[in-house]
Amino acid sequence: MLIFTLRRLNLFIFTMLVLTLLSFSLSFLFPGDPVINLSGQLNSTEQQLAVINQSYRMQDNIIWQYFAYIQHIIQGDFGLSMSSQSPVIDEIMILLPATIELSLVALLIAMFTGIPLGFIAAIKHNKTSDNIILSVAMFGYSIPVFWLGLLAILFFSIGLGWLPSAGRISLLFEIEMVTGIQFFDILMSNSPDKWQAFQDATAHIILPACVVALAPATIFVRLARASMIEVLETSYIRAVKAKGLSFQQIIFRHALRNALIKIIRHVGLQFANLVTIAMVTEVIFSWPGIGRWLIESIYQRDYTAIQSGLLVLSCFIFIVHILTDFIYAALNPLARGNKHGS
Amino acid sequence: MNLLDIRNLSIELETTNQNILAVDRVSLSMKEGEVRGLVGESGSGKSLLAQAIIGVLEDKWHVHADRFHWRGIDLLRLDIEERKNILCRDIAMIFQEPMASLDPTTTIGEQLAEAIDSKQLSGFFWQKQQQRKEAVIRLLHKVGIKKHIQCMKSYPHQLTEAICQRVMIAIALASRPVLLIADEPTAAMESTNQGQIFRLLASLNQLKNMSILLISHDLENITHWTNTITVMYSGQFVEAGTTEQIFNKPLHPYTKALVDSSPKANLQLPSKSRLMTLPGSIPILQHLPIGCRLGPRCPRAQRACVEAPKVQNFHGHKVSCHFSLKDTY
Repeated sequence: MLIFTLRRLNLFIFTMLVLTLLSFSLSFLFPGDPVINLSGQLNSTEQQLAVINQSYRMQDNIIWQYFAYIQHIIQGDFGLSMSSQSPVIDEIMILLPATIELSLVALLIAMFTGIPLGFIAAIKHNKTSDNIILSVAMFGYSIPVFWLGLLAILFFSIGLGWLPSAGRISLLFEIEMVTGIQFFDILMSNSPDKWQAFQDATAHIILPACVVALAPATIFVRLARASMIEVLETSYIRAVKAKGLSFQQIIFRHALRNALIKIIRHVGLQFANLVTIAMVTEVIFSWPGIGRWLIESIYQRDYTAIQSGLLVLSCFIFIVHILTDFIYAALNPLARGNKHGS
Repeated sequence: MNLLDIRNLSIELETTNQNILAVDRVSLSMKEGEVRGLVGESGSGKSLLAQAIIGVLEDKWHVHADRFHWRGIDLLRLDIEERKNILCRDIAMIFQEPMASLDPTTTIGEQLAEAIDSKQLSGFFWQKQQQRKEAVIRLLHKVGIKKHIQCMKSYPHQLTEAICQRVMIAIALASRPVLLIADEPTAAMESTNQGQIFRLLASLNQLKNMSILLISHDLENITHWTNTITVMYSGQFVEAGTTEQIFNKPLHPYTKALVDSSPKANLQLPSKSRLMTLPGSIPILQHLPIGCRLGPRCPRAQRACVEAPKVQNFHGHKVSCHFSLKDTY
């Protein structure tokens, strides 16, 4: 298990190095002076510019420049945002937790609806319920997310008035930001009406999270269905049937775990897709997340923000990948333990 | 009274064009405490027959039978649930590939424990866990696995093929079956392990009076262990009789060819000469010959062979051939 962890950590470090290489090269590819693109200091005097040049080692060759850039990143210095002239890292620390919260809730919704539905479809293979689930999944997969978001607002917020249409929480509640994840902050705060705040935050997240979750959930339905059908045809399931176990015992003791193993890695892969959908949804629901901020910085040609936003988002996606790898290893005895010759 | 009595069992495969009769009216009967061999080339429907008996065939196969009696109970009259209960209680099966027949994500100990019927355990529910574990250890010892602690903790991929097969046998024994169906239990195994598995099955037969249906493609290999043998060819019944009858006086041309093709039966053959074989190869399922399916390859075939022959019985030695070799002996 230690070796498994070290391998994943190793992979993480090298992927991050490649990503920093990419974001470093972006500063040369964007129009303008590379140093200004890296630091974001637009209105600096001659002396300040000299200091920045010194700290990014612009007089040395490109390899030293890259190391200087890495040093800055490790210290948490992503430069100043070109549009607001405040440190990018501060903005990210406020915005990223909101995106994490939204995308993780959406992922959970997608997993807890999509995977069981797929399993049910596989168990009722070639029956009416299978066809219904499959066609609904196909339909859900084909709906564009921006249109669905607007439709959801129109129907649930304006038409029925059940759920709020924008923001993370009502302005009435004053919650001190500690972790950035709203639900944790509410639970940790000692305000007297923290349960109302919790309910309000829940009401705010339901609509955007469901909109984000729809497309991944439909993919999970199809993945889960395919893997369950495959597992139910294997000879160990036939052997278990011959053992005389009931159908529920077969499904819950043997089929479920083997089918989950086949899809858990795809869940990690789908997460990148989900974050992309979340970025669009954040714009529609005015969710104060990093996706909306990133799209706005693209409009404003805020090169520093684009660079560091990409770096941070891909880092986050990669961490989720590693986490799914750990879940995979926990479920699959073949993946853990020492392997030889592979 | 026969333990198992099957008459005219057919298995049909439903395809888009036409239905293929993979197993064509095969009869099989077994007595208590008997070891019967079921022999045929690969693709002759032996495994299908076994899976149809225990009822684990996929939905695309359709099974019909004129008679299906188990210890005097007419199973065709019972509904599916009752039939399944009776069969799972009394019949156990060992599958061809032991490694693939064990759940790869569950430990051997758990897989064995769940095969033990809770009716076998006495005592209160807090004692049952312990009793179950003891029963698992006993079963492992019974099939000759001494390192039970290690074995129970390991997953199937950590064990060798032969040990997996022993575990499969232990799982099959857990329900204390009356009949054990062993579907090529030693396929893909070294000959030393093969011997061990066969000896284990033979001792179970002797000590527990457990009947065994031993399925194999290798006639010569199983003759040491069987009392009676049924031969199949391309989904049709060929011949059934005691091992001596089949080996010494085969009545069907196909059985004769099978026996003659083994080196042991040809000891008088000069060295470096070819062994006897039938011309041609086994027909594919899409193009089965009408009548007797051996027809195109049979040395004794005549015009009458385009109609399927009726089974003839010579003192318990059954053969399905128009021109049996009865008169040549």
